[in-house]
Amino acid sequence: MACAYYSEGTTESVRSDPQERWLTMPQIFPKALNPVTKMLILAAPLLAGATGVTGAAFYRSSYATGVGETPPQPVAFSHSHHVGQLGIHCVYCHTSVEGSGFANVPPTKTCMNCHQQIWQGADLLEPVRNSYKENKPIEWLRVHNLPHYAYFNHSIHVAKGVGCATCHGRLDHMNLTMQNSTLLMEWCIACHREPEKHIRPKTEVFNMQYDPKKPAVWAAEDFPRSGKLADGTLNEHIGKPRPTSQKELGLFLKDQYHVRDAVTLTNCSMCHR
Amino acid sequence: MKPDSTDTPTNESVASPMWRGLDELAASPEYQAAALNEFPEGATEFADEPSRRRFLSLMGASLALATGVGCNLRPASQRKIVPYTTQPDEMTPGVPLYFASSASFGGYGQGVLVRSNEGRPTKIEGNPDSPSSLGGASLHSLASILDLYDPDRSRGVTHRGVGAGYDEAIAALRAKLYSGAAANTSVKVRVLTETTTSPTFGAQISRLLTAFPNSQWIQYEAVSSANARVGIAKAFDTTKGPALRATYDFLKADIVLSLDADFLTSGPGHVRYSRDFADRRKIRQNGKEAADIAAGKRLPEGVKDDHVNRLYAVECMPTNTGAVADHRLPQLSAQLETFARALAVELGVTGVPAVGALTDEAKAWIKPLAADLRSLPSKKDGEKPTDRPKGTTVVVVGDHAPASLHALAFAINAHLGNIGKTVRLASSPEVTVAGKTSNDLKKLSDELAKKEVDVLLVIGDANPAFTAPADIDFASALQMFGEDKTKFSLHLGQRQDETGVLCEWHVNEAHDLEAWGDICGHDGTAAIQQPLIAPLHHGKSAIELIAAVVKDAKEDPSVPASARDPRDMVRATWRSWFGKSAGEFERFWQESVRAGFVAGSAPAAVTPALAANWAADAPASPPLRGSGDYELNIRACPSLHDGRFANNGWLQELPKPLTKISWDNAAFLSPKTADQLGVAEAYYNFNKGAGEHGRAEVGVIQIEVGGKKINAPVWILPGHADGAITVHLGHGRDGGRVGRIATTPDELNVDGKPARGFNAYPVRTSAAPWVVSAKVTKTDKQYVLSCTQGHWAMAEKDPISGKLLDRKPVRKGSLDEYKHNPSFAKIPPTATGETLEINQNIPLPRPKDGKNHHHAHDERLHPLNMYQPAEVLSPGLKDSQRRRWGMAIDLSACTGCSACVVACISENNIPVVGKRQVTRGREMHWIRIDRYYESVTADMKGAKDAAAIKTYFQPVMCVQCENAPCEIVCPVGATVHSTDGLNDMTYNRCVGTRYCSNNCPYKVRRFNFLTFEGNDWDTDTLKLGRNPDVSVRSRGVMEKCTFCVQRIRGAEIVAEREFRGIKDGEILTACQSACPSGAIVFGDLNDADSAVARWKNEPANYGLLAELNTRPRLTHMAAIRNPNPAMPK
Repeated sequence: MACAYYSEGTTESVRSDPQERWLTMPQIFPKALNPVTKMLILAAPLLAGATGVTGAAFYRSSYATGVGETPPQPVAFSHSHHVGQLGIHCVYCHTSVEGSGFANVPPTKTCMNCHQQIWQGADLLEPVRNSYKENKPIEWLRVHNLPHYAYFNHSIHVAKGVGCATCHGRLDHMNLTMQNSTLLMEWCIACHREPEKHIRPKTEVFNMQYDPKKPAVWAAEDFPRSGKLADGTLNEHIGKPRPTSQKELGLFLKDQYHVRDAVTLTNCSMCHR
Repeated sequence: MKPDSTDTPTNESVASPMWRGLDELAASPEYQAAALNEFPEGATEFADEPSRRRFLSLMGASLALATGVGCNLRPASQRKIVPYTTQPDEMTPGVPLYFASSASFGGYGQGVLVRSNEGRPTKIEGNPDSPSSLGGASLHSLASILDLYDPDRSRGVTHRGVGAGYDEAIAALRAKLYSGAAANTSVKVRVLTETTTSPTFGAQISRLLTAFPNSQWIQYEAVSSANARVGIAKAFDTTKGPALRATYDFLKADIVLSLDADFLTSGPGHVRYSRDFADRRKIRQNGKEAADIAAGKRLPEGVKDDHVNRLYAVECMPTNTGAVADHRLPQLSAQLETFARALAVELGVTGVPAVGALTDEAKAWIKPLAADLRSLPSKKDGEKPTDRPKGTTVVVVGDHAPASLHALAFAINAHLGNIGKTVRLASSPEVTVAGKTSNDLKKLSDELAKKEVDVLLVIGDANPAFTAPADIDFASALQMFGEDKTKFSLHLGQRQDETGVLCEWHVNEAHDLEAWGDICGHDGTAAIQQPLIAPLHHGKSAIELIAAVVKDAKEDPSVPASARDPRDMVRATWRSWFGKSAGEFERFWQESVRAGFVAGSAPAAVTPALAANWAADAPASPPLRGSGDYELNIRACPSLHDGRFANNGWLQELPKPLTKISWDNAAFLSPKTADQLGVAEAYYNFNKGAGEHGRAEVGVIQIEVGGKKINAPVWILPGHADGAITVHLGHGRDGGRVGRIATTPDELNVDGKPARGFNAYPVRTSAAPWVVSAKVTKTDKQYVLSCTQGHWAMAEKDPISGKLLDRKPVRKGSLDEYKHNPSFAKIPPTATGETLEINQNIPLPRPKDGKNHHHAHDERLHPLNMYQPAEVLSPGLKDSQRRRWGMAIDLSACTGCSACVVACISENNIPVVGKRQVTRGREMHWIRIDRYYESVTADMKGAKDAAAIKTYFQPVMCVQCENAPCEIVCPVGATVHSTDGLNDMTYNRCVGTRYCSNNCPYKVRRFNFLTFEGNDWDTDTLKLGRNPDVSVRSRGVMEKCTFCVQRIRGAEIVAEREFRGIKDGEILTACQSACPSGAIVFGDLNDADSAVARWKNEPANYGLLAELNTRPRLTHMAAIRNPNPAMPK
């Protein structure tokens, strides 16, 4: 920093001595900068913190995670029309969701089951017809795209009362399919730590309009083995009203569905192999 | 001993001299340093020579990293989903399917189950229902899936090296065989195949031979069982009836004598034999009784300690069978027959040829061995021994032994009443055509050279241009023939091998998993092979090829080849075999294809009388070997066989069972012979006592037979017979022919050629294919071999004394020791009071009432750390969900065959790293099989006493410690415990500090020093074969055995979905399902009735290094041998 001692006084004599020429070196920074430096030092942790916060915010931003994005698909398929308006059941197309880790995107044949009869000339369906005619699959873009080292299994989530809409959002309102969840690990873990906040009765898993607060009664299909207990009797809750608070409902279902505890559900090898 | 006993176990066996390898006996400071080092010298350094290119690529990568990070923040890049257009009914995307088929090897099949993920075969396992497998699988069956995806497989039809179409090849062949629609009967056709047991293919060739009367069928393979065939024909005079074949029932055999027969790890039936043999070695408190054994029951598993079998082995080169024998006599191969004759005379077999001179060690064996074969041991001293029941012993002879010895063994077996009991004779499933079939390659070679043949079809992997004996110059004959434009030669093979390039046409063959076919197992049970995938490179099977050119009675030869469905051809064979109505046949066909074998197709057993002249033409016994020449034994390589697996990276890199050498072959000889030749000095000097520590510099010898010379690096193998040298075939295949694995442009072999290992075929003659006398001289060359035996030694420096604490934690003992003190294997305590605590460290099943009687959480010790055990952390789990995965390995049953290692590679996407990396200790195998030697004294004198060497195998993988030392040192929490007791390894969290490996007392963690891209990271075809349920690890990541966590979680999800518990046996780990002898068991320790719980309750169960309080979930059971006290020590 600025050196106060040599800045005034006997400059001539000093200059004449080659041994001490260094003393005459001009100042790099003017004295006036001293307070700025002090402020900078004080601000350093703040800056670092802000960088961290910005980084963390960016990491979670929809730009980085892709939330809210609708990848351009080869066919402009509308869930809102098929699910919301026509009421087609999720499993009609995504057949493997209850029995496999992978919830399949339907083969072209499934589309053609209906579209051989209706809208068979629509321009919008040209790629579907071509695919069927030429036996060439339609190449869809993945909307919810997990990293390859995370092994997500649809079937177990569906079996334990995680609704489609919980992760995929209100597909009955989506014209084009949009990414609904961040898919960050913290998002996965949040539910694995407290599944009771998210699970719902099994009969409501595919229900897009499900609202836990709406009063309803327990159905036999809400319980494992259609409510049949080991001793052959039916579950006593069948026909009785469901709790309307998610907390109460969740804890009850967690017990009924044998959902394991947070420690087990957050074991690394649950998802990473 | 009761767990709460405070007696000190008597434990002499633990103190007996054990050593890992010769380098250890030299006990140099270098060895000690090497044993202490977690990685051998150089493993952790980047020691490759820096080059400008490498520098630029590194710089480029750094630059890309610096700039590329900003563009790639999203969790994963955009990927596609490609559904079917019409989805097949039986498949659910994401759920693998299993298909039964048969893996062919040496003409015989082994029942397998193949896993198919979305249409890609990804894993081969044994078929529990198939009599040749019983669930186990051989090395070669397991590794054959890699051959399917071999990037160097032949990808098309060629005509004189130029690409052509299959239809052109067939048209050219038809033009030779037919003039118009009529068969050209004068055409001389030669078909060269291997031995075949395929009824469909056999029938087709028979039709071909009928249609073209001047044809011959030559069956040739380098490693053949021709001697056994001739021997059995001599013994039982099969000139009138069909050829016979012997199979053995080791389940009923109390005493087994193996005369150089490696029946546990080689030959078509070895997987079944291993299982049967091991079942009589597994000692179980509720095992089989004598009545169960006599009835041939498979369950309960194992036997009571009174019914343990006994194996005597007489052999030259130590084999895995010899290694697990109770008594092993090293003998020159030439002496074997003399030994057998002396034994036969002692037993009272009549008509035995004159017995020649025997060595003193052999003489000492005859009387006690004969007594043991003949009579039961007397219960009291001085009591007259009672006769052993007939048919409870067996004498087995190796395929390479002379035919007269095979005949003699049948005579001994007949004398002991074994025929029809432990020796099952039945008509051979090998297809031959009387008067048309021969094994005469010499004649064929002459005919080709003289061009007396018009059409030559070479079918399969026999590859005679490489494997023909040195006195038959098949390659030049074929070359001359192939170049002649008036002649026709065609090669059908999966690779354009040495033979393929010499033929005019080459047609790429379909893999077993790509084509319909049929084949017989070792006992003659037929199996239908079904394709799992359309041929990747449009290959054709042998059946398709022959069908395209043979005129069927009903079919029109002008029908193009493509119109004939090979499935229909196989069906037609079985339709006529089955005979009944079409409806019933359809059921039979579906069931046979589904089950993987044709029920009831095994030929009926026969009990022919011994021929009167079985000993006719037996050669005279040779004199004892003089000092001049050495006996050279030529054997198939245990992993590469005759060379057909040369381009299979898994088998090349696999540390060979017993010798632990990878990527190379060597001349094996005993320490005494090495001294005699003067090569021992080189071995010790250059390796400074660390010769087996990855990079072993060895001397080279020159072997000369009949003027032909080969150079071979020397490997000193304790237990080898003195005065003999053994070389393995299959290595040294020439560059360019077998692709990138087998050729090594930067690692030259001993002759300076770019090949893996040396070629031993030049010293092999058709007159003496297995044993020959050779001149051996030492050369002044040096060669580097890679050997993994010294890697990952469980040694440690004692923190107080500073001495090397070299743990040799294999536990073994004799049956007498076991009977005297069943708990002998428990750790010998330093102080008596600790016994209880140490024993309690071994995970035990929960008592049936589910209560913990000693502590709040467990009946065992409090863990020595401050964290709560997982079971306390998760009190909300239901009992059916609370699992404690555990594994046990019975060392009495383990033969060291290494099938588990290959199964693990296949299941867990383990990379091949290459020889150079192995020499640096960077191999990635999650399972290592430690080999321990025991001798009278642990020094060179002991090592030279070949007859007294005992060998033990101990497979070691991650033992999943409950108190895992690796977990507490990981700075990023990449390795942590799961509630069911697995030591989870999270690859995407690992930053590669390697602290965990450093702190692991078992040394079972493997670090990806490189992405090993040169071998299989980037190869597209190999990606198809990977297991989609296991992450492919990249550079800088630590990995280890996971207990096949993907299978555990998969089964758990299914069980949880159905709200039920997991059944015992529902989850098989890859190693467990592959193990031919059933030595590995896995399951839930909380289930007191599970197999693993039962095994762990056996007194012989012990925890590896349990004294460290790691509480290993994988425990071992001591290797218990059953020596005969009457035998010479």
